[in-house]
Amino acid sequence: MLVLHSFWWLLCALTVAAKTHTFYFNATYVNASPDGTIERRMVGINNKWPIPTIRVKKNDRVKIHFTNLLNENSSLHFHGLFQEGTNAMDGPDMVTQCPVAPGTTFLFDFEVKDQAGTYWYHSHSGAQYSDGLRGLFIVEDDVPLAVDYDEEVTLTVSDFYHDVSGVLVKNFMSRYNPTGAEPIPQNALFNETRNASWVVEPNKTYLLRIANMGIFTSQYLFIENHNFTIIEADGVYVEPREVDSLYLASAQRYSVLVHTKDTVDKNFRFVNILDQDMLDFLPEDLEVISTNWMVYNKKNPLPKPLKNDNIGTTFQDLLKRLNPVDDFYLVPLSKEKLLPDADVVINLDFTMEPLGDGVTYAAFNGISYVPPKVPTLMSVFSSGKYADNSQIYGSNTNSFVIQPNEVVDIVLNNMDPGKHPFHLHGHTFQIISRSPEGQDEENPIKFDPSNSNHTDYPEYPMIRDTVQVHPNGFFVIRFKANNPGVWFFHCHVDWHLEQGLAITLIESPFEIQKQEIIQNHYDSCNRTNIPSYGNAAANYGETKEAWLNLEGENLQVAPLPEGFTQKGYIALVLCTIIAIYGIFSIYKYGMEDVTSEDTEAMIAKLYDILRKNGDTVGNEYHDEAEEPLT
Amino acid sequence: MVNVFNVQIFFIVFRESLEAVVVVSVLLAFLKQGLGAATQDPVVYKKLVRQVWLGSILGVVVCLIIGCAFIGAFYSLGNDIWSKSEDLWEGIFCIIATVLISLMGLAMLRINKMKEKWRIKLARALTKVPDKKKDRFKIGYLAKKYCMFILPFITCLREGLEAVVFVGGVGLNSPATAFPIPVITGLIAGIVVGTLLYFSGSTVSLQIFLIISTGILYLIAAGLFSRGVWYFEQHVYSNKSGGDAAEQGSGPGSYDISKSVWHVNCCNPEIDNGWDVFNALLGWQNSATYGSVISYNIYWLFIIVTISLMLYEEKTGHLPFLKNLTLAQLNPMYHVKGKKKNELTKEEQNALFEKVRQTNIGQDDEEESSLVRENFASASSEKPEKGSL
Repeated sequence: MLVLHSFWWLLCALTVAAKTHTFYFNATYVNASPDGTIERRMVGINNKWPIPTIRVKKNDRVKIHFTNLLNENSSLHFHGLFQEGTNAMDGPDMVTQCPVAPGTTFLFDFEVKDQAGTYWYHSHSGAQYSDGLRGLFIVEDDVPLAVDYDEEVTLTVSDFYHDVSGVLVKNFMSRYNPTGAEPIPQNALFNETRNASWVVEPNKTYLLRIANMGIFTSQYLFIENHNFTIIEADGVYVEPREVDSLYLASAQRYSVLVHTKDTVDKNFRFVNILDQDMLDFLPEDLEVISTNWMVYNKKNPLPKPLKNDNIGTTFQDLLKRLNPVDDFYLVPLSKEKLLPDADVVINLDFTMEPLGDGVTYAAFNGISYVPPKVPTLMSVFSSGKYADNSQIYGSNTNSFVIQPNEVVDIVLNNMDPGKHPFHLHGHTFQIISRSPEGQDEENPIKFDPSNSNHTDYPEYPMIRDTVQVHPNGFFVIRFKANNPGVWFFHCHVDWHLEQGLAITLIESPFEIQKQEIIQNHYDSCNRTNIPSYGNAAANYGETKEAWLNLEGENLQVAPLPEGFTQKGYIALVLCTIIAIYGIFSIYKYGMEDVTSEDTEAMIAKLYDILRKNGDTVGNEYHDEAEEPLT
Repeated sequence: MVNVFNVQIFFIVFRESLEAVVVVSVLLAFLKQGLGAATQDPVVYKKLVRQVWLGSILGVVVCLIIGCAFIGAFYSLGNDIWSKSEDLWEGIFCIIATVLISLMGLAMLRINKMKEKWRIKLARALTKVPDKKKDRFKIGYLAKKYCMFILPFITCLREGLEAVVFVGGVGLNSPATAFPIPVITGLIAGIVVGTLLYFSGSTVSLQIFLIISTGILYLIAAGLFSRGVWYFEQHVYSNKSGGDAAEQGSGPGSYDISKSVWHVNCCNPEIDNGWDVFNALLGWQNSATYGSVISYNIYWLFIIVTISLMLYEEKTGHLPFLKNLTLAQLNPMYHVKGKKKNELTKEEQNALFEKVRQTNIGQDDEEESSLVRENFASASSEKPEKGSL
């Protein structure tokens, strides 16, 4: 009896401890003016924007009934969550699900296990999350943090555009944008607003959970006269590290401690700065440096906002004063040792090239990601015993099949002179090597396994889920394939994702088949008329050949024609022929003059001779053009 | 190379100087045929010949000076207005150049017609001179005495200024250094050819030379037309892509793929050496568009059709199917200037030339002044004597 009781209490405790959070989120349009300039249409939830912060505890269950009340497709991805056993709830369209069509309700149902920290959730359809469908997802740990703090505060930073994402993408992916210049944001946002004030009390320690929810630009953050102590990055606890400023690439998060001063006589600037180096050109009116305030005493004056004029030098001047940590040198609290040598090495050479439609695309090893006809996860489920043949997932999807528990290295060589934050779904990874910025655009620094500088891996490498590669440089990340699922690995600058900068990892396909795709997800595919059965070309059959048949799959645009095509030859020949004929007719016209002149003179002479010799015919002939000389 | 030798300028100067030489030769021919009773008096003849030379050379020199000043002033002041990066201006200048060249090119193949035209023009001018004597004594006297100087001077001046305007029109998209050499060589070539014409008449070899040069001229004009259209398309693309196209050189992204007929990454006339000559002569583009190719063909078709019409008109006296129409009548200026009433039949032409021969020009000073005194005396006396010379 006692056993039964205690068992009952244990059960209750467990069920109370592991809560289920149910949300009914309707994606709706909302008009808002976050930067205080113009009002624009945003994508909100339940007619509100900014969208709610989701806060759960570790091991909780989350159920979101996501109804799309927009007139475009939508989706939700929970950035950083492992989705163990629930790969179908990860969110990216055509990878783990069909897009959520307007008028459809999609159910996300998953548990948050084995992780705690600062995460966020956002749309994974096109560049939709720049329209506002992004919010924080906080997972509180079941054990208290190792550090003491008084109050927790959340902070999001992002870039902000005045135009709707559809317009931005259309203008970006156009042959009139031959350099592939990313759209320039109009402003930076601090907690979805600008010129914000954070009222603090003296002598307190605040835990700041910070996320960069931007779609493009990285940001610097600092508070004058205050330091940050980093304790968590991307959901990974780190050994506390004190810094004077932070650098967050898109999608990265940090939890930091800020200790306030004892006195309340001054207020301080809390500055967020767009990383100007990422912008292809600088509009005159863009405020790269945005000032907000940490307010000790509302009665005291606020320091003036930092100036933005003479943008070139002001940005550089500020940077000189800042010392954000290189996240490569953070050390995880778990002190997880460097994983053993990789079983699989995936080499990715990243380039950008214009293709045959005049648009610049991004490619890994020459292949630019093109979504398959069937979501990759559904190909896994439908392909039965062929699921571990990477060919069935398409020739233009950069698909790699990984076997269970393999150690995987991803070597990414950045042949582009830009900064790129790369994110792996479903995992955190060890950052084992990262080169500095390559100075020579023609010869980017490529990973060389024989170079000891490149292979000098740290004993306790930093672990996170989003890492930035330096221009013309490389990084190597390592993780263990212990989470079966179809995981997307892509650049988190959404413009580049549109250009195809992504790969698909199919990790432990036969284990994935033991999971479940709920009927609601198949219904969503039917609503959008997207096939949910078959290989990447939606082909299937009884034989292996049928499954390997990729006829009809989506392929990238053909490359630009190299030199003369048939069209060119025809045109050139035509021009030549007609020019020759033109010259010939000029010749004919010219020769007319001579011949007529000559013949006339000749005839006149003949008649003259005849006349002189008494022939009457000559008398009748007049030379009308010229008077005879005397 | 195009930066020191602009081919269009060469041809225009060549053509205009050729015409100037023709004027001189026609006047000299008139003199030789006895204009102003010059054949009777070798002294008078020599004097008149010298006047002709002086007048024409001075006319050309004044033109050159004015031309240099005009072009120089323009380039030092106005070059920024249409800086080379403005594809739109480039396109407009190319089209202007094409039009100008096309109009004057074909006339070079009818040197004899040119000669005829000048004979009539000059003959008219000469036979008018004596009438002025009645109105204004002094000026009329001077005009009559020195008409063989004034006439070539004014003619050469007018033709030369026309040349200056044309050269300015076609040369505006070239740097200033591209002017001197073609002007000088054009002058020399025109004078040489004109002299040959004078001495040996219209021979076959001369005509072949003229045909070849006209052929080259029209090749250039066709290339210019095509280039003009190409510049317009580049302008549109540059505007839409926000100026990025220029950065890309010859590579992908420097052109609009949807309008491209062919594109090679080398051989760009704007950038690569040597290919600009190819472009000047034949309108070659490394990145051809539908517009540039089609316009090239259309231009040649237009020339071919025009030539056929002109040939037809020469043979039959009118345009096909339209018995009362000639090509000259299609020119609106024809009706504005009332040129119709100036057309002469062959008989009228002969009469005109006869009249020229009878005209007294540059006569003895004493004879002239005695004539004047006589008229004056007769006018003031109570009994005017009629019938005096």
